[in-house]
Amino acid sequence: MTLSHKVRGVDHAAFPTYDPKATIHFYRDVLGFPVVHATCALGWGPEQHPDFIHFFFDIGQGDRLAFFYYFGVEAYHDDNEPEILRRARHLAIHVDTEEDLAEYRRRLDGSDWKCELQVRHETVESIYVTDPNGYLIEITRPLRAITAEDDIDANLSADALIAVVEEDKPSLGRFFQLKADLIAERYADEPAEESFV
Amino acid sequence: MRTTLFVLDVDDFRPLAEVAAKDPDVTVYKRGPYYEVSAEQAIVIDRNATGCRNAVWYSSVAAIRGGRVAVWDKYVLRIEPATVADPDLRTLDVQ
Repeated sequence: MTLSHKVRGVDHAAFPTYDPKATIHFYRDVLGFPVVHATCALGWGPEQHPDFIHFFFDIGQGDRLAFFYYFGVEAYHDDNEPEILRRARHLAIHVDTEEDLAEYRRRLDGSDWKCELQVRHETVESIYVTDPNGYLIEITRPLRAITAEDDIDANLSADALIAVVEEDKPSLGRFFQLKADLIAERYADEPAEESFV
Repeated sequence: MRTTLFVLDVDDFRPLAEVAAKDPDVTVYKRGPYYEVSAEQAIVIDRNATGCRNAVWYSSVAAIRGGRVAVWDKYVLRIEPATVADPDLRTLDVQ
C-alpha cells in the first residue's frame, strides 16, 4: 500500500542563535531574506530561559528559516564537534537559475561572509557559506530535471542500503553487489534489448 | 558469472554505457531503467571519452555484479571479475 503524501515542503527550520545582530544582518541585509514574523515571549520558556525571541526569515515559497534567541543564556560552542558533522548538517535553499545563484554569490562576496565554495554536483550546482552562527548554508540550483529513472534508482539504493547495514561489515562494494541483485531480480522477466550495436 | 556494471539510463550516465559498448568484448543491454554493461573479463571505461565532469563521474555506478571496482580514479573506471576471496562477494555463488 502506498501512503498518501500530503506534506508541502518546509514550513520552517529553526536553530538557536547567540548573535541575533549578526544573524539579522546576514540573512536580511546581506542575503535579502525578509523578516516575516517574530514571537517575543516573556516568561514563556522553561525556568532556565524564560524569555526569548523567535524570529523568522522568508526563504521563498512561504518557507521560513527561524532562530531562537534566549535572553540571559551564555553562548555555548562545541569546539569538539567533528568536522564531518559540521559539514553534513546544513540547510540548502533553492534557486531556479544560474543567474539567481550568481546573484546570491555576489551578495555574499560583497559582504563579510564570502562564498566559501562553489561546486557542480551530480544534479545541482551549489554555493556554500558559514553563517554567523557557524551553520553551513547552501544555495543550490538544479542542473537537470530529476527523472522517473532517478526515482526508481533512489528506491533501489534505499533498499540496498538497508540490506547492507544489516550485515556485519557494511561497505560500498557490498552495497553495489546487493543493489545489483535487487536490479537483476526486479527486471529478470523483462526482455533486455541490446544497446549501442 | 559475467562482470556486470549497471548504469542508470539518464543523460548524465548514458555516456559510460556508450563508451563501454565500443569494446567488442563488452555487451550492453537495456534492463529496466538501467544499462547492463557486461564482459567475461574486466570492464574498463576511459573517463575522458565519456566527457563526464567530476561529480557525475564519481556517482555514475549504480550497481555491480560478479565484479568489484579495481580502479576508479579521475582517469578510468576498471571493474574486475569477482574472485571467491572478495569479501564484498561473500554470498555470491562465484563459479
